[in-house]
Amino acid sequence: MTTGALIFMLASWAFVLGLTFWSFRKIMQSQKHFDPDGIGPESPPVPGAAGGPPPRD
Amino acid sequence: MSSPKEVQQSNEAWGSRIGLILAMAGNAVGLGNFLRFPGQAAANGGGSFMIPYFIAFLLLGIPLMWIEWGIGRNGGRYRKGHIPGMFAAIWRHPMAKYLGVIGLVIPLVVLIYYTYIESWTLAFTVFSLTGDYFGRNTPEEMTAYLQSFQAIGDSSIHGIWKPFFFFFITLFVNIYILSKGISGGIEKLAKIGMPILFIFAVILAIAVFFLPTGTTGASPVDGLQFIYAPDFSRMGEARVWLAAAGQIFFTLSVGMGTLQTYASYLSTKDDIVLSGVATAATNETAEVVLGGSIAIPAAVAFFGVSGAMAIAQSGSFNLGFVTMPLIFQQMPFGRLLGAMWFGLLFFAGITSSVAMATPIVAFFREEFGIRRETVAWSVGGVAMIFGLLQILWFQHGMLDEWDFWGGTFGLAVMAFIEVILFMWIFKPENAWRALHQGADIRIPSIFKFVMTYITPVYLGVILVSWGIQDAIPTLLLERAAPGTEFYITMSRLIIVGFIVFFLVMIRLAWKRNGYDDRKGFREVEDTPLGEPVMAEVTR
Repeated sequence: MTTGALIFMLASWAFVLGLTFWSFRKIMQSQKHFDPDGIGPESPPVPGAAGGPPPRD
Repeated sequence: MSSPKEVQQSNEAWGSRIGLILAMAGNAVGLGNFLRFPGQAAANGGGSFMIPYFIAFLLLGIPLMWIEWGIGRNGGRYRKGHIPGMFAAIWRHPMAKYLGVIGLVIPLVVLIYYTYIESWTLAFTVFSLTGDYFGRNTPEEMTAYLQSFQAIGDSSIHGIWKPFFFFFITLFVNIYILSKGISGGIEKLAKIGMPILFIFAVILAIAVFFLPTGTTGASPVDGLQFIYAPDFSRMGEARVWLAAAGQIFFTLSVGMGTLQTYASYLSTKDDIVLSGVATAATNETAEVVLGGSIAIPAAVAFFGVSGAMAIAQSGSFNLGFVTMPLIFQQMPFGRLLGAMWFGLLFFAGITSSVAMATPIVAFFREEFGIRRETVAWSVGGVAMIFGLLQILWFQHGMLDEWDFWGGTFGLAVMAFIEVILFMWIFKPENAWRALHQGADIRIPSIFKFVMTYITPVYLGVILVSWGIQDAIPTLLLERAAPGTEFYITMSRLIIVGFIVFFLVMIRLAWKRNGYDDRKGFREVEDTPLGEPVMAEVTR
């Protein structure tokens, strides 16, 4: 295997594996945001506020 | 507030975050990860292909993933788990809901032909375990074996009943899981299927790299060399960049309407930014690390570099269903490894196909109050009828036709519409806020610019390019094999029939529930028992 091919293979693998491990590690550290009851937000978002729909005309 | 029982009756829910991510990743990881990716890499400059591939991942794949999660979760706030409702929630215009028809037609079309292909993998899992194809030692013999199963040519090998039998079983399993709902069916499948898929893939990759050097003098490591050897002279070719963008596009299952439905069952307290990255990263690991380490290295070891190149260029099905069975016949524990290979493809397929009917189930549940099981089995009935037609007309090009309009060009059209709606009509500021509600991480600010300008331009270039290179010649039947024109025309008319049917259903749904397109939906925290879930309206 040539050096060029090896470098591209290792760099590609490092990128995707690194991203996968990083994201799952973050997920394991922050379980607090998951809301398994699936009933939606505790209180309806205010229109125009963060995450709310655009203000109505 | 409703009791949990009432909520269960009124809406779906994910049981755990890992279950959600595995289901999302299962939706993305499909046959293309193991069959299409290595061939594309090898045919488009090897290692240097990975540069446009990862650029497309960052500028197209990840942004589209976030946009679809964002559209889905935003729709979920109004209890809309289907694209017509999600589009109407973003754009208060009568056209929005009708644009969303694409998010009902594409998953239905793809579900039907994809389940048929998936049934091949189930059948070949059984054929591997029983050693049914062992003894067919030449490409010609294996091709005849595959074609007989596809109801082409010599029917004496399989008999006419086998393709229908395996299609029926595969479809039944899909619809059964779908009928059990998000938590009870799809999430359970993902928690079982995804680990099995990864275990099988790792075992196969290890087995391949213990293969001895073949008669051609090539080893499996030469297969990696074949995939990754950089050819920088190809970097300047537009087609290489388009191939990379296309591969990213297909592999992440964006433009299908399924990610949005999955995301609609999340609340604004739930993270979607990090979960979107984790989903995309899991898919990329399956594709780059595992997908590139099985089929092509094995093919190179047995057939040499030039032989593997010819195989890769002859198509993914040839690689998966002709070449790999030939290789397994030469390997120790060939039956078991063959069953693992096709079992791996089956799990990759079924975790994707169960997702495809979810937008349709959501539409009829939410807008017409029809029970999930009833919708699921009805979709199964439709898929059965047109799936049988797929089997009978496979040799006449029906599958290719549906794959192009539904599974290729349609996805790009859908994704383009989504980007425009979410980033331009909904506005970048609102999109940004919607994405960051409950987020565990912040998206780097540069992506706001990327998602607003770069991603739509990237998609526009792909659409125009595919339109000129493929859509127009396909539409004009320039590439149709002689004698297939009638079947291809009929195949298209069926898709047109689906479009008309869903347009009428959308119209009926909006009239039935009294939605006012200009005023939008009322946000829903919960729906009391006895009140139709869909009847949250501004009358």
